[in-house]
Amino acid sequence: MTVALHEKPAVYDAVIVGAGVMGATTALFLARAGLNVAMIDRQDMFRAASGVNAGTLTLHMTRAQLIPHAIRGREMWLNSAEWLGEDVGALATPGLSMAFTEAEEDLLRQRARVRQEMGAPIEIVSPERAISIEPGINPGLRAAAYCALDGHIPTYRVGGAYARALKQAGVTLIENAAVETIASSGGQGYEIRLANRNQAVHAHRVVLSTGAWLEKMLGWFGHDIPIRCLINQLVVTETLSPVMNSVLSIANGLLSLKQFANGSVLIGGGWQGEGNIRDGGTRVIPENLQGNVRLAQHVVPQLNTAQILRVWLGLESETPDAMPLIGPLTHDDNAFVVGCVHSGFTSGPYMGRLLAERILGADPDLTAFDPYRFSSSPATGSQP
Amino acid sequence: MPSPDFSPVTVIGGGIAGSTAAIALSRHGLPVTLIDEQSEAGGQIFRAPSPYARQTVPPNHEFSGGDTLRGKLAASDVTVRLGTRVWGLSPSLTLDLIGSDGMSQLPPSTVVVANGATERFFPFPGWTTPRITGLAGASILMRNGGTLPGQTVVVAGSGPLLFSVAHQVLELGGKVAAIVDAGSRTDWFRLGAMLALDPSRMAQALSWMGQLRKAGIPIHHRSFLSSAQETESGLLLTVSEMDHPQRRHLYAAETAACGYGLKPSTLITRSAGVQHHHDALGGYLEPVTDVAGRTSRPDLYVTGDAAGIRGMAVARLRGLVTAHALAQDRGLISSATYESLTRTPRRQLRRLDAVSRRMLPLMNAGRELAASVHDDTIVCRCERVTAATLRSAIHSGAKDLNQLKAWTRCGMGPCQGRMCEDSARNLVTGTCKNTPEDAGSFTARMPFFPLPLTSVTGTFDYSDIPLPKAAPL
Repeated sequence: MTVALHEKPAVYDAVIVGAGVMGATTALFLARAGLNVAMIDRQDMFRAASGVNAGTLTLHMTRAQLIPHAIRGREMWLNSAEWLGEDVGALATPGLSMAFTEAEEDLLRQRARVRQEMGAPIEIVSPERAISIEPGINPGLRAAAYCALDGHIPTYRVGGAYARALKQAGVTLIENAAVETIASSGGQGYEIRLANRNQAVHAHRVVLSTGAWLEKMLGWFGHDIPIRCLINQLVVTETLSPVMNSVLSIANGLLSLKQFANGSVLIGGGWQGEGNIRDGGTRVIPENLQGNVRLAQHVVPQLNTAQILRVWLGLESETPDAMPLIGPLTHDDNAFVVGCVHSGFTSGPYMGRLLAERILGADPDLTAFDPYRFSSSPATGSQP
Repeated sequence: MPSPDFSPVTVIGGGIAGSTAAIALSRHGLPVTLIDEQSEAGGQIFRAPSPYARQTVPPNHEFSGGDTLRGKLAASDVTVRLGTRVWGLSPSLTLDLIGSDGMSQLPPSTVVVANGATERFFPFPGWTTPRITGLAGASILMRNGGTLPGQTVVVAGSGPLLFSVAHQVLELGGKVAAIVDAGSRTDWFRLGAMLALDPSRMAQALSWMGQLRKAGIPIHHRSFLSSAQETESGLLLTVSEMDHPQRRHLYAAETAACGYGLKPSTLITRSAGVQHHHDALGGYLEPVTDVAGRTSRPDLYVTGDAAGIRGMAVARLRGLVTAHALAQDRGLISSATYESLTRTPRRQLRRLDAVSRRMLPLMNAGRELAASVHDDTIVCRCERVTAATLRSAIHSGAKDLNQLKAWTRCGMGPCQGRMCEDSARNLVTGTCKNTPEDAGSFTARMPFFPLPLTSVTGTFDYSDIPLPKAAPL
């Protein structure tokens, strides 16, 4: 979409770079608080991780330290009508994580314990109990971890819902405009230069929420943080009669399995494909496709009647300590980051809202997410 | 002249173009593998008839031509892998195959894509009833199955297939209730003049027209099927006139066959990342090729209708020229030899290409229908997405096909958008100011068609699964 920039104010109160769940939630809450907000994306909005992820709401697979955030994020998704303006179809279901070997059972118990300590209502259940919760699973399991607070979202409904909410809140959307540089503009905020656009965008504050594309932009603000890019594989089947009701996973976290309302089964879990952020091309690794799908069929044997409809890959970003980046990037509090959140779709709206609250003057605890934890050098503002 | 390179060539599609190319390549001494999804080579036009069809359908040019082609292929050194489909490919052109022998891969080779055409559809209320087939589908049923799609058939849509299908219905003893053509009579007359350059097509057209006239079949030009209602015995079909929307004609029929022309099959070429452009005359996306089918990738050629719809005669000539050009590119023949080998076919190509391009607007005569499709009508039948849903997403900001797909699921189903992409694109260009190029096309994803899950998993033990390292705690 092309926006007639000359009709817009000379300087935005905030410009969000990267139109996914986190940045868009920040944009939404800032705009509703009265700020003049623009959001820029290199593609159309919600086309990267936020548009292609598995839609899992999970505590089993969320990092233990992020459990409180994931619980809040899940609640936001389930109540999306209240704050986003429309119901995106999030469904609360139980979640079962399974162990098939002794080693997996040990891992399952260990992972469940640390999550319990962080407030996740996860309990270890017997194979019989697991089968009574989810009759379609492989009866050969040794134990399962049961969580009452899981669920899933049909991801495809999210982007359009945000587009309408942002429009209503008055956020200016600038799509298909890659950010080339962000430069300090004489102590008066920032000048943002875009590819294929003559006119720069000016803003008092900048928020970076570009996920896998963060590393270079963080560098512009003096933060040298290597961002690892995961190329996550997803597989979807043709529609099937019901074979499961819950979100299924295995002890080591490398499977997510669910059936949507339309009957299609989504197989994920972070098996890797090939690709990179530069040319955007991604490709399936045949052995990983086979491994991922075998695992799914092992967990739900009835999948042997399914047909694989499509395989695709989505990019996920990860910091060196696998913890998020949320907070200010400069000491004068005019550039911020939100991203690299493990199980980021579950917690995403909450993380985005936390940053909006921080920008608006509240003081949420973001200590563990502070980007300065990776560097001792003080930030000096932006250096393209 | 470069030193001769005898590394393998893979031809995808055993129709007229692909088989011709494969045989010619093999005569140049190249090791050629021809892959085709059917149980016998021949493609659509030269598809091998079933034993039943050989009894019921009068002998015709397609049967004899197909038999000759299959005979030549059998006598050649081409390795033919029938019943085999390409479901994916890698950037280096490793091909992922599935056949009766299960999954396999072909290592990277020079690929000649000759996978032909796909029929184009435009939706109307009732088009998803099983009593309506495509024109190409009806033709396959009759020519190769020897079976009528119904005793009484309404034949609708656009392009020359209309008259071919009507002729086939009569040939098998069926009744054509009406022919409904989106093209105008004037367009056909203009084409008729051009056909003087293509005597075989001219003769066929005249024989069909004479037969249809004798049978007294009503032909409606500049008209389209505007609705289909199921009745106890079949369908009640409404025909509307494009220039006088209030004028309607009703027909009862057991079934209808309706299709709006052909477009190149581009899933494989798009996945391979070659350049494509929108052909305004044909109203479709096609790979950018030179006269010999060279693309923006030196290891990939496209030949036959896959390089743009031109029909059977052009397909054969293109197959020949592509094979000789590839041989020249490999250093197997000199440019002088290439010139002399292809002089006649290239001259014929130039002549026939002019006629064939004149057919494109007739095939694409339904282009104005999709933008006016009724809100309640299903556009994407796999995912049951209506025109209203698409229009609402376009108004919310989804102005290219992939965003439209991401927000509505249009094109996400088993057919991978083959059936709805043209309508979706026309809705985008008709609703906002985007050009067909801006609207783009659905990203091609693997597998290209649904794969049985067990064909990927095979027989295995849990301990065979190479479980990656656990995610961080």
